Amino acid sequence: MYRNYAKQDVFSNEVGLTVRLASMNTSTTSLDTEEAEDSAVSDESLLIAVGNTQDINAFNQLFERFSKKIFALGMKLTRNEQLANDLIQEAMLNVWQKAPLYDLDKGSAKGWIFTLSRNRCFDMLRKQKRQPSTISADDIWPLESGAEPASVHDDMAGQQVELSLIEGYFDQLSDPQRAVVEQIYIKDRTHEEAAAYLQIPLGTLKSRLRLGVAKLRNLIGVDQ
Amino acid sequence: MNTEVKLHPSTELLNQFIQGELVTGKSVVVSAHMELCKSCRAKAEELQAHAVSSWVDPGSALQSDQPSEVDYSSMLASIVKSPQIKSEPIEELVEIDIDVLNHSIKLPKVLAKAASEGLQWKKVAGGISEAHLFLDNETLCEFIYMAPGCQVPVHTHQGSESTLVLDGSFEDELGEYKASDFIIRDGQHNHQPRSKEGCLCFAVLDSPLKFTEGLARLMNPINSYKFKKATSRLA
Ligand SMILES: [Zn+2]
Repeated sequence: MYRNYAKQDVFSNEVGLTVRLASMNTSTTSLDTEEAEDSAVSDESLLIAVGNTQDINAFNQLFERFSKKIFALGMKLTRNEQLANDLIQEAMLNVWQKAPLYDLDKGSAKGWIFTLSRNRCFDMLRKQKRQPSTISADDIWPLESGAEPASVHDDMAGQQVELSLIEGYFDQLSDPQRAVVEQIYIKDRTHEEAAAYLQIPLGTLKSRLRLGVAKLRNLIGVDQ
Repeated sequence: MNTEVKLHPSTELLNQFIQGELVTGKSVVVSAHMELCKSCRAKAEELQAHAVSSWVDPGSALQSDQPSEVDYSSMLASIVKSPQIKSEPIEELVEIDIDVLNHSIKLPKVLAKAASEGLQWKKVAGGISEAHLFLDNETLCEFIYMAPGCQVPVHTHQGSESTLVLDGSFEDELGEYKASDFIIRDGQHNHQPRSKEGCLCFAVLDSPLKFTEGLARLMNPINSYKFKKATSRLA
């Protein structure tokens, strides 16, 4: 289904978790086949489908899986049913909007959704308590990207590096990095096309590209 | 530099931070410490992973039933009509340097953002200056600068005070504190901070200080007035 090479190594522990949840379920009620099939698709695959192809069905499944959790988190933090319901809206809207930015290399989908939900809840409460907006949740819990959002594409093009020279260093990149650099610089695909082809989130594509290009430049000896 | 950090937020406090349970002022001071402290960042990552797995655990105590009469289909339909964000918005970087005596101190990002509307420094007593930040209605947040050789009157706290040392050092009866150290004081401590080399801190108080000695007692009413003023601007 939504298969990709990265999922296996990054989320190998996911398998254990799924099995544990499934066995807990069977002990109480029997699952119907459709539900069992759904739970076999990882949260990450669903999120990637939402980010790469605006897959509404995948989004509905994420909503199904997470809305109750988000509501519970909202109840815990706000003790207010209305606010907790508003949080479902705010957080799931954020999941939809930011899905292309999700980076597979930096954590699980549920961790990412937790972070978005907590942050939206924090901002909602600040607004409700009429606190100043100088500071927001995203300042308090910054994304550990450490990345300059500058376009890597333009950057590299300006360097006029011989393609053959780069190719000589290709095997020193990790497989995921090489795949990404190849899509962008050799196949000349757009970021969106490459992410869809490799079935990784756009955010992951960009961070792998950045790391891959930095490594190549380092090997070639181009000044940073 | 990271390895020299001696004092960190407790695991409990870090956990509350991760769970989003702390009020804005407290969240900011913990976040600022984490920006300076690698080991707390690593610890927070572990705590977050733990928080996430108990969040999604179907057997978790954190379960609430959604009211069944709510129809989510229109919510879903409106969400999927919104445009998606394809690249991380370029953040405007706020940088603030605070000049003291013979050098300037670059604030951690979260504090620079918090102070982005400007700092108004006021001299309070022998060599101490303060600049308040209004972050929420429950805490008093301020930058405190102690000039070399100055001393704060003996005081206790009604609530708790979290202090992050940003530059220089200070000491009290319990020890010496250096840049990046995170110190918590509460009602049990009766302390008198002093600084030989000068010190810049960011402090978040749950409730006003209570001075306990001599003439300093006269400052009590003023002090709680200051607290009210700082925390009731929008209330
Ligand atoms: Zn620390």
